[in-house]
Formats: sequence, C-alpha cells, structure tokens
Amino acid sequence: MSSSCKQVDLRGQICPSTLLIALREVNSRKELLRTGEGCLVFLSDNRSSVTHISDAVINMGYRVEVNKEEGHYRVAICGS
Amino acid sequence: MFLKMSSNQVRSYCWRVALCICLVYLAAIFEEQGSAATMQTPLMIMLAAGLLLGLAAGFVMHRSDYCVAGMFRDLFLFRSTLLPRTLVLLVGLSLVLFELVRLSGLVAFPFPFFGPPSGVNLVGGLLFGIGMVLAGGCVVGTLYKLGAGRFPSLLALIGLVAGSTLYAFIHPGWAAFSRMLTLPTRAVTLPQLLGLPPWLLTVPVGCLLLGLVFVWFRQGRLRQHGVVEGYLQPWQAALVLALIGVASVLVLGMPMGITTSYSKAGAMLLTGVAPELVAGTPYFQLQPLNYLPPLGGGPLTGGPGPLLDGVALVQFPLIIGIAAGSALSALLLGEWQLHLRLPWRQVLSALLGGLLMGLASRMAPACNIWHLFGGLPILAMQSLLFLAGLLPGAWLGGLLLTRLVMPPAAD
Repeated sequence: MSSSCKQVDLRGQICPSTLLIALREVNSRKELLRTGEGCLVFLSDNRSSVTHISDAVINMGYRVEVNKEEGHYRVAICGS
Repeated sequence: MFLKMSSNQVRSYCWRVALCICLVYLAAIFEEQGSAATMQTPLMIMLAAGLLLGLAAGFVMHRSDYCVAGMFRDLFLFRSTLLPRTLVLLVGLSLVLFELVRLSGLVAFPFPFFGPPSGVNLVGGLLFGIGMVLAGGCVVGTLYKLGAGRFPSLLALIGLVAGSTLYAFIHPGWAAFSRMLTLPTRAVTLPQLLGLPPWLLTVPVGCLLLGLVFVWFRQGRLRQHGVVEGYLQPWQAALVLALIGVASVLVLGMPMGITTSYSKAGAMLLTGVAPELVAGTPYFQLQPLNYLPPLGGGPLTGGPGPLLDGVALVQFPLIIGIAAGSALSALLLGEWQLHLRLPWRQVLSALLGGLLMGLASRMAPACNIWHLFGGLPILAMQSLLFLAGLLPGAWLGGLLLTRLVMPPAAD
C-alpha cells in the first residue's frame, strides 16, 4: 500500500460510528482523493456500514471497490 | 486498534457454550412442564414453532441488516427513508393479514399484554428510542447482531438484562404513575375507541399503505445497491417479517415479543445470589400473561419471575432462534467474527443504551418490535403512543451519539 493510502480499521465498532468516521475521513482527504494522489481503505465487518459507506461515497463522486476478505469487507475509495 | 479474536478455537468454544445453554434450557422446559403433566402436543408445537420463527427472523435480519434502531436513527441523522418505507410495507401488509386472521376467529383479539393506553406508553417510547440508538440496536437487533458475533451487542444485552431487572425495584412507583396517566377509556384499539368494526379501519389503512408501497416500488425507491455477499433487499426482509408475524399470531396467539424474558433472565440470575430478594419483590410475582393459546392445551400463564412458565415457553425459543438464525447466516457467509476491542466511548454507549432500553421496555411496556410489528397492525393505541415517543427518542439518541459517543477527530 502506498504512503498516501490510508487504511482505517472499523471492524467491531458500533453503528453508525463506522459510517460517521468513514465520512469524516473522506472529507479530511478530499483534495488527495480528487487529484488521485491518495486513497482510503476501510475495513468493516458491518454489512450495513459497507453498503452505506459505498453508497455515500459514490454519491460524492468517488470510485469505490468493495472486496470480501477473511470475515470482513475491504472498501477502497479513490479519485473520481 | 482492534484485537482480533477469530481463531477456530474461540469460535468453537463460543458455539459449544451457546449450544449448552440452548440444550439446558430445552431440557429445563421439558422437565418443568413434564413435572406437572406430560408436556402437551400444542405446547411442544409452540416451542418448536417459536424456534423456527426466530431462526427465520434472525437469518433474514442478518442478510438484509434489517435494523429497526438504524431505521429511525438514520431517518434523522442521514435523512435516509429507505428502511422507514419498508416499515410501511410491513405494517400495511400486517394490517390486512392480521385482520383476515381476526375474521377467521382462530385467534382472540386484541392480543395478550395489550391494555388501554397511558401516557407512559409515550414516555417509554421516548426513552426506548434514546436507548436503542445508543445501544446500536433494539432488543431484537441486539440479538441478531450478537448472533453474528458483534461484541457491542453483547454489552447491549448485558445492559438490557440489567435494566429490565432494575425496573422490578421501581415498579410499584412506576405502576402508580402509569395509573395517573391512564387515558379515560377502556378501549385497547382505535376501532374499539371509535366503536367501529376493526375491518372498517384496518383494511382501508392497510390498502392505502400498500398502495404507497406499490408507487415506491415502481419508482425504484425500495431498492438499495447491495455490495455485500448474500444481500437481501430490505423490502424482501419486511415481507418475510410480516409473514413471520402472522405465523406467530396463528401459532403462539400473539405477535413476536421478547422483552419480558429479559426481566425473567435477570430474575433467574438474581435468584442464584439473592433468592430472598427475588421472592420478596412484588414485580417478580406478577403473572401478566394469562391466555388460551390458539392450538389448545389449556390456559397459559406467566410473568417476569424466575420460573420457566408460559413467558419462557413463548419467548425463549424466539430469542434463541433469532440469535441462532443470524449466526447460521453469518457462518454460511464466512462472516462470523468476534472483535473484543472497542473504543471506551462505544463500550459505555452500548452498556448504558442497553440499560436504558431495558428499563424503557418495562416502563412502556414492551419493545419496538412488539409495538411496530404487532401493535400497529391492530391499531393498538398503546403502540400509536409508543411510536409517537419513539420518533423524538431516536432523534435525541442520534444527537447524543454524535455529540458524546463519536470520538474527536484527533482520536
């Protein structure tokens, strides 16, 4: 993973902290995300949060890739 | 940040403990019922049906993450209306189906536990709304999330049992307060209050709600883009839950409800350390359940006390089933994981939210599932008041969550 790519582990957290933290991270790195210089990766085992995070960031104009790993989901967000 | 506890040994240990608890419970029920007389077939059918209905509900709730606490919370936090629209489907369909069951004469209406409305239904709904948002799930949401291995839900469950047990000691004062706030009517449902045959209200209201759902469906406003494996659309979950509700009414004689069992579980635990205290607490001697199950087998009675009575027979299988159904779904998807590390704010939120929810479920009385899935479809006035309190409660809970529970940006 490149140094401009930040990974946030949200596994086990209570709802809706996962979504709120994810949105805060996206907003704090929006310039890097827009220019394609950075990306964000969230790890979550909350099915609802995975759906809501990807929905929310797609609506904000970013590209999202969701992959299932061992027992959790990996939501990668990069530039539009 | 999190300590991951996902080894096969931990998983296997958890399952052995859960299986032992279920087996001990089932053995105890058979022992208890068998000591009075050979357990009758209708009661055995009720027990098995409760387990199966719970299994189905837990499985479906996990697949769609049908979280009623989230439904109300996100309505205010994110202006999300998808899940509330599916609730309209659930209530609309149940209004029509419950009325058909009533007209068939197979089940006595209104259901056991429902009574005339009181201001405490509103107050209870308000406190319940705050509690369920802080706990991260309602009484049923806590169970299906716990089944899937979510640690915050275990904390919420501990809070729920503690709150439900604590209520026993404030019950005399609260019961007096409830009588003061009782509305001047003996009517239980809106049709009874208006002196109308129930179908004259339930069928048109149900059809109106289903008409709305049809419009939303045509507009594609009931669907969500699912990115997780095995995703079940929330409207499909609502449909299944409405059918489970009707099956519960037909077999158990009442809609899904589980909150009296949290007090009962607390009383059972307390009996182990302070039996005199339980024996001397009037709330634990109450027998609010007293009805004739539709399948026969004679009157069934029960209450929040520590005995394996009618309440245990009706509610414990549902509780075990919901947690097991969700666990089964999570295991089949390979998503059963236990993460024990949690930010301290969320630990407190889950515990205190569960405590408040447990207290409120006794004060209201009953929970959101009972009132929304079972009471609204018969237009029970207690449930209408509960809903009126639940909405501002969820809003307040969301406010507390974002202000106090969310970690500061620097964390």
